[in-house]
Amino acid sequence: MSRKDTQRQVDAIRSRSSELENHLIDEYRSGYISRREFVRRGGVIGMSIPVVGFLAAACGTGSNTSTSSGGSADTAVKAGGKEVAVKPGGTLKLGMSPGPTTEIDPILVADEGGLSVMSQSGEFLSWSDSKLQLQPRLAESWKPNSDGSEWTFKIRQGVKFHDGTPMTAEDVASSINALSDPKSGSNALSTFAGVLSKDSAKATDASTVVFSLDSPNGNFPYMLSSDNYNSVIVPKDLSGKWEKTFPGTGPWKLEKYTPNSGVSFVPNKDYWDKTRVPKLDRQQVKFYPKEQAQILGLQSGDVDVLVHFSPTGGKALLNDPNVTVIELRASVHREIHMRNDKKPFDDKRVRQAMGLVVDRAALVNGLMAGKADFGNDSPFAPVFPSTDKSVAQRKQDLEKAKALMQQAGVSNASVTIDTWDGFEMPDLAQLLQNDAAKIGLKLTPNVTPATTYYGDAVFGKSPWLDSTMGITDYGHRGVPNVFLAAQLSSKGVWNAAHFKNPTYDGLFKDYVSALDLGAQRAAAAKIQNLLLDETPNLYTYFYYFLTGTKKNVGNVEVSAMGHYDITKAGFTSAA
Amino acid sequence: MTRFILKRIGLGLITLWLLSVLVFFLANVLPGNVARRVLGPFASPEAVAQLNHQLGTDKPLITQYLNQMKGYLSGDMGTSVSTKQPISDVLWPALGHSAKLALLAFIIVVPLSIFGGVVAALHEGSTRDRIITVGGLSATAVPDFVWAVVLLIVFSLGLGIFPSTAAWPDGSGPLTQIKYLLLPAFCLVFVLFGYIARMARAGTIESLDADYTRTAVIKGLPQRTVLWRHVLRNSLLPTIAVIATQVGYLMGGLVVIELIFNYQGIGQMIFRAATQKDFPALEAAVLVVGVVFLVSTLIADVLYSILNPRVRLGSADQ
Repeated sequence: MSRKDTQRQVDAIRSRSSELENHLIDEYRSGYISRREFVRRGGVIGMSIPVVGFLAAACGTGSNTSTSSGGSADTAVKAGGKEVAVKPGGTLKLGMSPGPTTEIDPILVADEGGLSVMSQSGEFLSWSDSKLQLQPRLAESWKPNSDGSEWTFKIRQGVKFHDGTPMTAEDVASSINALSDPKSGSNALSTFAGVLSKDSAKATDASTVVFSLDSPNGNFPYMLSSDNYNSVIVPKDLSGKWEKTFPGTGPWKLEKYTPNSGVSFVPNKDYWDKTRVPKLDRQQVKFYPKEQAQILGLQSGDVDVLVHFSPTGGKALLNDPNVTVIELRASVHREIHMRNDKKPFDDKRVRQAMGLVVDRAALVNGLMAGKADFGNDSPFAPVFPSTDKSVAQRKQDLEKAKALMQQAGVSNASVTIDTWDGFEMPDLAQLLQNDAAKIGLKLTPNVTPATTYYGDAVFGKSPWLDSTMGITDYGHRGVPNVFLAAQLSSKGVWNAAHFKNPTYDGLFKDYVSALDLGAQRAAAAKIQNLLLDETPNLYTYFYYFLTGTKKNVGNVEVSAMGHYDITKAGFTSAA
Repeated sequence: MTRFILKRIGLGLITLWLLSVLVFFLANVLPGNVARRVLGPFASPEAVAQLNHQLGTDKPLITQYLNQMKGYLSGDMGTSVSTKQPISDVLWPALGHSAKLALLAFIIVVPLSIFGGVVAALHEGSTRDRIITVGGLSATAVPDFVWAVVLLIVFSLGLGIFPSTAAWPDGSGPLTQIKYLLLPAFCLVFVLFGYIARMARAGTIESLDADYTRTAVIKGLPQRTVLWRHVLRNSLLPTIAVIATQVGYLMGGLVVIELIFNYQGIGQMIFRAATQKDFPALEAAVLVVGVVFLVSTLIADVLYSILNPRVRLGSADQ
């Protein structure tokens, strides 16, 4: 195709495209965003994949790397490699620790084990892949209106639930409405807060669902993707427990589920996407109550894949020649809060000093065995495309920290740092204690069981939300919105720092309503700088999501949320 | 004899009742609330209140306790608050699993340790005696989970002879099940061997020194007869008591072993119920372990009294 023809075709596409889409094309053309980012954002705002692909080639500079102001959206640090040839058939055994800890109910599920298992038979409107790109699944396409306050999803036709009943737009609307209904006690309420209210999803015809949002939101499709793991599409007339038959439209059908022990699935031969009908005969998942047992399970060959293991618990696997480790960037973090309204942290210089005294390099390379990204004291993890990476990274600076403490007139203060006895948090508390001692701040770790630390999880009845200083574990999210709203906004329900800053609240609003990446990144930069100055919380690292497979297993795909996709997986000939 | 057994059962029932009260109220004074634990720290307060209401955990403790006891008496173990399954669906298979592991451990350790103890006693002060007593004691002093790790590293990761888990695949026959259970069973064997062997040794030494043994030897009975009829019958009394008290440990105290080997026994069930604040499951599991403990102690008492009438008569006199 000649250059002229290409240009003519580009013009034709642009004339048909919305303002938002044209804006994105301009951003890409001007080199402001990378090709990968263009593809990702194109997917989010509902541009079709072939069109995005064509434009990426026609309009781009050919560069696949990020520009100075941006970053690559690729989350894979060390992926499982390119797709390899696998033998059809066989049973893949997977280990999961701890597995689903409660009843698996799509509306209530809040644990990694539950969501991992649920997304084998259940499906979402779209799949947020390891590059944070949205792959259409039960939705064929989606489009926002001009300001992003209304989104229209086209639902795939001809898809059937495992019992043979057709999946319709009504099923989609009812599944999502159940999640936004405050009465359901849904786990997705925190995601939908201020975005989607009860009964805002309407099936306008057999293949269309329209979502009317509370306020414009440029990231809305993520909230209906696998990132919001509660949003699996279930039959509208589902009666009884979901966990009995795992009803869904996904590529795997339930064979047998034994709570606390394991689950097995067989391929759904009637799956709508013939390229994703599983090659394996069966997958068998074993639940391990303790991480150490699952590590041994992989090493001794009892299982072929560990869906997720932690850098601290699974150090033995990192250098094991018989194991392939898949590493994904994630936004998993430990929020270290400092009560902004209590001494000694009511003076921001003391909080800044804490940020400057922490030896982040020791935390990332020592504590996390190098399997983490540096945190810059805001929830904008490097994994998020909207994070402005040009904001300078905070590093240890003892002289400056001491000077700040002196200016604040604080010496020999002592503070209890609360946390619970999970993951690496007790070790982190101890390392912080050592660092803080260097500026005359005496931290005393108080490590309790999780139930004690979280208490009733409301202000006034929870060491987590009431303590002067504490360490809290947060799981991965595909976009930072929930962190920004709940941890930091004045009315945030998880605002343990009691940080109340009208400027921040305004910036947060700007960020959420920004539809294009440029605007998001501009708002993010302002928030990042404000948080560095105010330092309500410390965010010292974001650690990777690690998956382990035996060498003879290929094509395992995971998401940092804890979903895994083994539809293309199988055993290679290499033993 | 009947009176003796009835009295034991009566005392056992009182113990069980006290146990149920203790577990229920101790579990409920732990901080945090049930629905919060089930729904996670990030669930909304409304959802938590609603689930507490649904589970009945917002009712006064006494009402909750009485409701639970009523259920037990009518054979209903209740429903797990975390998995929403009937507790009996999990409890009985878990008990069965624990029993299998305990049985295998017993089949190995009882003859082995009694044999070891008797051999040590017969050669008191010799090298053989020292090896058995010091070796046994050292093995017992090492905690079961340390044995677990050592055995796993050597036989599972190193030599690859045994699986690293005790959870056998569905549909496995008895031989495969035994293969999966051997490593955890041997952890228990190591822990129990020293203890039981020492008891057997002490009892045997005592019996060897007893007047009746001397008489038996003097009247010219063959050594084998002296040993079987006179020595062992008397020397094993305390050993039986020790073995019986270990049943409770094996049937509910193997939390760490069951976790390391990922075995769905009752120890793991108790651990899970405790960490998830699944009180109905915790209460039911602890009570069942209590029953097992009491029954095994009762059997030991009866056996003991059959072998040693002094116990039976002494107890009846009281």
